[in-house]
Amino acid sequence: MDPVTSDTKIAVQNVTKIFQSRQGKKQAEDVVALKDLSMEVRDGEFLVIVGASGCGKTTLLNLVAGFDSPTDGQILLDGSPVTGITPECGMIFQQYALFPWKTVQENVEFGMKMKRMPHRERKERADRFIDIVGLKGFERSYPHHLSGGMKQRVSIARSLANDPKVMLLDEPFAALDAMTRQVLQEQLVRIYEKHRKTIIFITHSIDEALLLSSRIMVMTARPGRIAQEIVNDLPHPRNADVQLSNRYMELKRMIWDSVQAAVMKSMEVEAD
Amino acid sequence: MEINTPSKSLAVSIASLVIFITVWELVCRLGFIEPLFLPAPSQILSRAVKMIENGQLISHTLSSTRRVMVGFMVSSLVAIPFGIFLGSSRFFMAVFDPIISLLRPLPSMSWIPLSLLWLGISETQKYSIVFMGSFAPSLLYIIEATKSIDPLLIRAARNLGASKLDVMREVILPGSLPQIIAGLKVMLGIAWTCIISAELVAAREGLGFMIMNGKEYFQTDTVLLGMVMISITVMVIDVVFRKFERRLLPWTR
Repeated sequence: MDPVTSDTKIAVQNVTKIFQSRQGKKQAEDVVALKDLSMEVRDGEFLVIVGASGCGKTTLLNLVAGFDSPTDGQILLDGSPVTGITPECGMIFQQYALFPWKTVQENVEFGMKMKRMPHRERKERADRFIDIVGLKGFERSYPHHLSGGMKQRVSIARSLANDPKVMLLDEPFAALDAMTRQVLQEQLVRIYEKHRKTIIFITHSIDEALLLSSRIMVMTARPGRIAQEIVNDLPHPRNADVQLSNRYMELKRMIWDSVQAAVMKSMEVEAD
Repeated sequence: MEINTPSKSLAVSIASLVIFITVWELVCRLGFIEPLFLPAPSQILSRAVKMIENGQLISHTLSSTRRVMVGFMVSSLVAIPFGIFLGSSRFFMAVFDPIISLLRPLPSMSWIPLSLLWLGISETQKYSIVFMGSFAPSLLYIIEATKSIDPLLIRAARNLGASKLDVMREVILPGSLPQIIAGLKVMLGIAWTCIISAELVAAREGLGFMIMNGKEYFQTDTVLLGMVMISITVMVIDVVFRKFERRLLPWTR
């Protein structure tokens, strides 16, 4: 096992996750979501995990967030094992998970309220993050009055205001239309550059991975493992020129090949 | 006829009510029915005027309303936190489930003998009947309501640092409030049946008492007046409740 270096934020060490099927007692029904998976995330890194659906990437994120515990192995956050749900790892869900009965302001204040932060401080901080995600003027709106993109911005502000060490994003833009997605991707990159949070971002879009990441991991399915690791050396800002460059195409092909191989393999498994 | 506006349907409803009362009045006036069996609306109205003048109608209505409200409030105030607690804890749900299952099928009427024995013909006895009649069903409504919460919201709250108690107060309570209120509205109707039956059996005032007393003296108009008053009071409370509901649930607008 590699020693954990000082700038390692998260260390996943030989993690196996098996979901026991509830029907019947047959061992064969158990699903091995992750098998002997090890990886590290460095402090301030923007790591994107790419993989086809069902490859266990959400399972991995849930383990890091402490929603679930590994069947075997362990996960370290700043050197100490994750044993339960921790606000240090702020999660952004694809379905936004905003509280419908709270206004935008109250949603963003939620984490601070849980920390029993004084009312005024809470409000000032919430105002700041609502401004950062460009939702000034919507403080008193309820979530059901907002579009999908706006909801996800509230969710990002809510997480940022809680000042987590790590942000975990589980396909956050998958439910949005292409235009909105692009706007939010750019906004996220700006936020990342300014606040330098460690980010783990999950997606099944290779383009999204190339646009956002500083490092990319490709996951394969059943059992979930890391097939490939790519340091994304594309220059910033990753505008249209970059997206048409040879290096971009080269990286895209590389990732596509390993994703495709993984998908083909899992289809063969299913056909057996 | 096609009804395409709310004012039209209101007009039809009013007309229907007027026709119903007119037919009833006519049937009685023309002597088809003995007034002892069914008094005419006008006779009920004149009884109402008499009883308003001597203050009895208002005092009977108020005492029944007060009993329902006190019993119902106490029952809801206990049932809401308890239901949310049980809805979020499998262990305590398992502990209390058999007791609730035993209590739930008991009609409030069945508590009347015991409550009289323990508490006498008192106000507390009336409150306890309303409480016993509405507590167990309210509790079940509330437990059911807590199950309608999206588990993702609970996850999100915990992820933002909420403790289990915070989750109950900040997520489960507000999240299930629309269903809880819908359930309590039904329970309020049941609370009225509880109090009327308790008053029919043993009371010195209240609409149930008024109905029973009217029957003793062969004043069928008093009996019917009592019944009409129950309907009107429940309708008025329902309207008030609806206003209250909108203020409690601003996000559903």
